[in-house]
Amino acid sequence: MGQYIVRRLLLIIPTLIGVSLVVMGMIRLLPGDAVDIVVSENTTGGGLAGFERLVDQELKDPSWPGIEPVPDPSEADFAQRQAAGLDVLATTDDVREMAAAEGVNLEDTEARRAFVESIPTARRMEIRNKIALDAYKDSIRAKLGLDKSFFAQWWDWVSSAVRLDLGTSLYGNQSVNDELQRRLPVTIQLGLLAMFFGAVVAIPTGIISAVKQDSIVDYVVRSFAIAMLSLPSFFFATLVIALAMRWFNYSFPIFYSDLWEDPVANLEQVVVPAFILGLALSGTLMRLTRTEMLEVLRQDYIRTARAKGLRGRIVVMRHAVRNALLPIITILGIQIPVLIGGSVVIEGIFGLPGVAAYLLDSIRGRDYPPIIAVNMIVALIVVFANLVVDVCYAYLDPRVKL
Amino acid sequence: MSVAAETSIPSQLRTERPAHTRVARGLVRFVRQKPLGAFGAVVFLLIILVAIFSPWIAPDAVDQTHTGDELVSPGAKYWFGTDHNGRDIFSRIVYGAQVTALVGIGTVVLAGLLATTIGLISGYFMGWVDVIVQRLVDIWIAFPAIFLILTMAAVLGTTGELGFLGLGRGPNWGPDPRDGPWIWYTFPRTTVVILILGVVLAGGAIRVIRSSVVSVKANPYIEAAQVLGASHTRIILRHVLPNIVPTVIVLATVQLGTAVLAEATLSFLGVGVTNFPTWGQMLSGRTRDLMASHLYLGLFPGFAIFFAVFGFNMLGDALRDVLDPRLRGSR
Repeated sequence: MGQYIVRRLLLIIPTLIGVSLVVMGMIRLLPGDAVDIVVSENTTGGGLAGFERLVDQELKDPSWPGIEPVPDPSEADFAQRQAAGLDVLATTDDVREMAAAEGVNLEDTEARRAFVESIPTARRMEIRNKIALDAYKDSIRAKLGLDKSFFAQWWDWVSSAVRLDLGTSLYGNQSVNDELQRRLPVTIQLGLLAMFFGAVVAIPTGIISAVKQDSIVDYVVRSFAIAMLSLPSFFFATLVIALAMRWFNYSFPIFYSDLWEDPVANLEQVVVPAFILGLALSGTLMRLTRTEMLEVLRQDYIRTARAKGLRGRIVVMRHAVRNALLPIITILGIQIPVLIGGSVVIEGIFGLPGVAAYLLDSIRGRDYPPIIAVNMIVALIVVFANLVVDVCYAYLDPRVKL
Repeated sequence: MSVAAETSIPSQLRTERPAHTRVARGLVRFVRQKPLGAFGAVVFLLIILVAIFSPWIAPDAVDQTHTGDELVSPGAKYWFGTDHNGRDIFSRIVYGAQVTALVGIGTVVLAGLLATTIGLISGYFMGWVDVIVQRLVDIWIAFPAIFLILTMAAVLGTTGELGFLGLGRGPNWGPDPRDGPWIWYTFPRTTVVILILGVVLAGGAIRVIRSSVVSVKANPYIEAAQVLGASHTRIILRHVLPNIVPTVIVLATVQLGTAVLAEATLSFLGVGVTNFPTWGQMLSGRTRDLMASHLYLGLFPGFAIFFAVFGFNMLGDALRDVLDPRLRGSR
């Protein structure tokens, strides 16, 4: 078994590499997004400096300070700068289109400058501001390292991730590590509690449904299970919140209290969302329990137990249930991605500061480092959970050879 | 006894009924044995019909508001009431069926095509192709679908400002969505949503199809065909594919419920089809704040989603029982 575990652990590495490549690849498809949002966060006054820099490049004069305030230029310098500015404007698509429409030859210096000057001032300002904005965005892109090639970015990320530095948010410079440290326990608590509730609801009902197969109880349970599968969790959650307000005048707490600081308040906040999440899970779990129980109940040793005259369903269930429960453990492991997915919505609705909510916010704001980091963490958790489940299963069921 | 007498059966003894009667009888049997499955089929048809005929069923146009009639409770005039913008909820539910039907069916078709193609290739050719595909699929399903969907939605831009390949570009791309009552006016965004959901859902299906292909391949007639010199293409298309059709159908119906639920969740989170009424969208935003006092605001869209997904799941279950009881395992 040790060999198996080692092999699986080693296999995690290519899986994680694959995941990181896929996630970064998807994000890389649109590099402009984060910068657009970051830029709109700041004023575009800096854009003017960008434009100045373009003019400087046009002049190719290294003595111009560029971004710093420019001393009063002499007459000749001023004329030069003006002309250079007109040239820069002439390089834009808008001006080119207009020139093509008018039939003006942009190669000829005189004609070009005359034409650009003939454009109404307001329009010229508009074009100029666009250039300035693009230049500003480019400088931000360079600062954030978004202009490097895909593999360069990926390698940067991997090398810092291996040192457990998951980067900083694109806005506000908060460390992703810190955020994750705060939020991971919340999601884990929600997930564990949800699994507990789901199991508590699903397993007994699944067992009863199997024992009384094809009876009314079975029918009701199966319909209930499919209903739980089909009910959108966000609908149910919204309904619960609305009804709680309406019937009991109860509003759910907004601020999150830590489990260790204030257990009562924490439980008050977490129990209902966990229960809703667990219900969503219980649909699948119920049907699986039922299937497994049915499989086991058909076995010969059950028939032997009954033939021996063992008293009642209770004793038989002790045999059957223990054997049926083994695959359930596997299923619980596989449900972890489903749980995390469900918690995206639940955390959002109930305002719990968890990892899933963090991902949602990051995606909305195109904040790439947290997106990558969260996806990687989740992939890691899922892969580990699968491994643990497989090992548990092998340990508990001597027939399974790894 | 002469051979001739054995090969021709007198017509009175023929027990085979004409095709249309067989189909009708099969349907009746299906309804009787699996009433819930029949219910699911009815729901399926209902949603498609409502979607197709929505401009005639809905009393209002797509974006029509009745100012001054905001937040009216359900009654004779507005069957499901009006929302905070004064829009008739019944009409919006009817139009929302278009999104549900189109995205649901589109997703399932795309996922089915993808998964079948990849599963066929992987399962038939085995070897290193299979190994690579299996690793890729492991990565594919390694993380929660929602994460993949949301990340892809963010990248591909379903909200319309920018977009990859021009998909998801804003209302300037194509006709204005408010021009008419049909969802294909929102073509860019709907396409992106279908693309994303289809790709993500295909991953889960590939495994099942692959194992089905592997078990079909074990049959002796496949080997016989290979010995006879049939090309791989011919074997796949003529022998393997028809035998995995039941599996594919069952998977498709099962995934229909998942697809509709996923679409509703996306709309709820605001990253689905945004410029057309969708059931998930009707549950988000102001509705959540107002729902305590105006339950009907969320009740109708929510139950619409539930109704649809429940019906589809029931249909999927019943079809699974009928077409391939081994897959279900509870009987």
